[in-house]
Amino acid sequence: MNGRPAIKFNDLTLGYDRHPAVHHVTGEVEEGELLALVGPNGAGKSTLLKGIMGELSPLDGSIDLDGLDRHEIAYLPQQIDIDRSFPVTVFDCVSMGLWREIGIWRGIDVRRKPAVTGALSALGLLDFVDRVIGSLSGGQFQRVLFARLLLQDARLILLDEPFRAVDTKTIADLIVLIERWHKEGRTVIAALHDIEQVRAHFPKTLLLAREVVAWGPTRSMLTPENLARAGQLSAAFDAEAEICERATPPQERESV
Amino acid sequence: MIHYLIDPFMDFVFMRRALVGCLALSLSAPPIGVFLMLRRMSLMGDAMSHAILPGAAIGYLLAGLSLFAMSLGGFAAGIAVALLAGLVARSTVLREDASLAAFYLCSLALGVLIVSVRGNSIDLLHVLFGTVLALDDHAILLIGAIATVSTAALAIIYRPLVLECFDPQFLRSVSRWSSPTHFIFLVLVVMNLIGGFQALGTLMVVGIMLLPAITARFWAQDISGLVVVSVLAAFVASLIGLLLSYYANVPTSPAIILMAGVFYLLSMLVGWQGGLLWQLMPRKHLEA
Amino acid sequence: MTRRLLLALGLILAALLAVPQGASADDKMKVAASFSILGDMVKQVGGDRVDVVTFVGPNGDAHVYEPTPADAKALSESKILFINGLGLEGWMTRLENSSGFKGKVVTASTGVNPRKMVEDEKTITDPHAWQSLANGKIYAANIRDALIAADPAGKATYEANAKKFIDGMTAMEANVKAAVAKMPPERRKIITTHDAFGYFGSAYGMEFIAPEGVSTESEASAQDVAKIITQIKKEHIPAVFLENVTDSRLLDQIASETGAKIGGTLYSDALSAPDGPAGNYLDMFRNNIDTLSTALSS
Repeated sequence: MNGRPAIKFNDLTLGYDRHPAVHHVTGEVEEGELLALVGPNGAGKSTLLKGIMGELSPLDGSIDLDGLDRHEIAYLPQQIDIDRSFPVTVFDCVSMGLWREIGIWRGIDVRRKPAVTGALSALGLLDFVDRVIGSLSGGQFQRVLFARLLLQDARLILLDEPFRAVDTKTIADLIVLIERWHKEGRTVIAALHDIEQVRAHFPKTLLLAREVVAWGPTRSMLTPENLARAGQLSAAFDAEAEICERATPPQERESV
Repeated sequence: MIHYLIDPFMDFVFMRRALVGCLALSLSAPPIGVFLMLRRMSLMGDAMSHAILPGAAIGYLLAGLSLFAMSLGGFAAGIAVALLAGLVARSTVLREDASLAAFYLCSLALGVLIVSVRGNSIDLLHVLFGTVLALDDHAILLIGAIATVSTAALAIIYRPLVLECFDPQFLRSVSRWSSPTHFIFLVLVVMNLIGGFQALGTLMVVGIMLLPAITARFWAQDISGLVVVSVLAAFVASLIGLLLSYYANVPTSPAIILMAGVFYLLSMLVGWQGGLLWQLMPRKHLEA
Repeated sequence: MTRRLLLALGLILAALLAVPQGASADDKMKVAASFSILGDMVKQVGGDRVDVVTFVGPNGDAHVYEPTPADAKALSESKILFINGLGLEGWMTRLENSSGFKGKVVTASTGVNPRKMVEDEKTITDPHAWQSLANGKIYAANIRDALIAADPAGKATYEANAKKFIDGMTAMEANVKAAVAKMPPERRKIITTHDAFGYFGSAYGMEFIAPEGVSTESEASAQDVAKIITQIKKEHIPAVFLENVTDSRLLDQIASETGAKIGGTLYSDALSAPDGPAGNYLDMFRNNIDTLSTALSS
């Protein structure tokens, strides 16, 4: 960790239609960090990731990406938007990860094919190369998406609930991949709901409950008290809410 | 026997021209139809064909049966509706289907109003029903040009288009091609409708775009297969439709489209991919 | 505030009621005619004593007309409705019913000896009786008699106008016959898109062949077009004519394939615009025979 911030949040508020999903976030994510984003349902985890991706414009405050082009961020959303009935093979889907290199026109030629097969192999997908994505199980499809992410070779990787509805064997394999990314010095942020997983594999945690509750090393931040506090903070938005006056809410921080 | 198939085209110039026009249309429109179908936008084709009516109507009223005026007008109207619908969908609570429905209905009503104010019902019929038997040099040129441009454009935006169809979020996350691709695709839809409506009329043109594509679904699974089968189906339907019109004395455009419909029904029954007949005959499952 | 609003509304109402009901002071008799050709004939006979409203206007198609509410209103204010009859105005019954018309309906073609024609293997009556000047005279007489019955005071005017009109027709008849005589007999046949010249053809000795049937509603089939092209080639028909109510592109296609001449525009079912070449009944004949002569005499 060289201490350079990959992402800087400046009093960031993100939300929909003036109601904040996540308020007054200030802080930094260092380059090469492996950060877990944790919180109850409706805590704003997906919103925060979308904000980093630029899919959502800040209601207030800003996000500084240190000059990184958002098209160079690898982002794995919660699967909803993908049409699995579309006639596309595993190979074709995964090879899209090379988009930054091949654009709309260049082919997957002899030079590039090894990269694709390498990614497929890393995720145990070599036997599935010609299958259409509609014929895959949930776990197999998640591997396909990870293989694509792998090919993107991005400096910053955002994962939104990557293990939801996936079998344990696949989860284990995917975690190996995430730790490999961490070793390669990539910045990885993953929104997760399984606290034990976070404790086992993620050195840093940002505990979110529509505002930052705790942010720092997992061991000291992910305490029962903090988790209880996060659970208490209201999940629904208030239709009668007043204009927010607070600058920074109370939170626990520890920098490393 | 063969000479029954060939004679009408050997003997008559207008039959040859009709065939050429249909060939160009068959190359150009069905691939667009394949993508419309895959994106679950099949009904959008119909909506757009109605949307171009006021443009074509204004063109007709200003300049008579002028190919240039009607095509230009139709194109402008189609693009305007597509753009407005997209804009409204992106900036308000409305989703794309509601937004498009609203605009094309207004457009259609406007078209009918314009024609009835200045013209009369026979004008409307002419705008609605083109005839493939009267394709002059300009019409053939237009259809041919559209076929060329459309096929080339489709080849260029093929990759982002496929991504746009099945994982638009990913496309947005890695490139700026999402909106342009969507827009170019809509332009291609409108262009092909314009090319087709001179030959088949605004009511029938969607038929040649969609029926062959939907038919292809029962024969192929991957996109290139779908494209090939749809083009073949469209061309054979046109050929048989023309022959029917010649031998059985029925109007041409409905004959062609009905033929395409017959192919669809047959394919639904016996197509390799999920034809009803095969579903009724259970086959042993494979090893893996 | 509300009171002022009511006052304003009241004033507006009063103003509306005070507007003179102009029409009642008018002494022209209001009559209606179904389409432009008939409308012109009624104007010729009625002259200044009548106010004619026509439903299917210049260049319009009387076979498939869609009446508007304005038409219904105009009809309800008319004393006489002149129609062609012989099956031309399929839409007329609906208009009569919806307008609550209480006047007299006069069929201008009464007394005409109708032709039969074959359309889609069905034998129907050919409604285009006005295309023969002899019939035109019958029309004029019927119109005259109807106007006199409704407005006896104008008897002298109507008789004078009708006589002038009929004399004009006689002169035109001579013109037409002379022009046809100048055409070589083997060239007295043409193709035109609209099968509306049956009466003209049988009255003056010409053959009119059409690729579509009488009604403009039907779309041509490839067989129809092939038949016409074959016929033109076999019988060496010299010219192809445009007609002002149907698709000219089909005609262009046939002309280019057979080498026949495109002869110009013939007016069959409707007049042209008033300042055009066929702005009235007699001009229509003049235009048609001139156009035919030019194409066929050479």
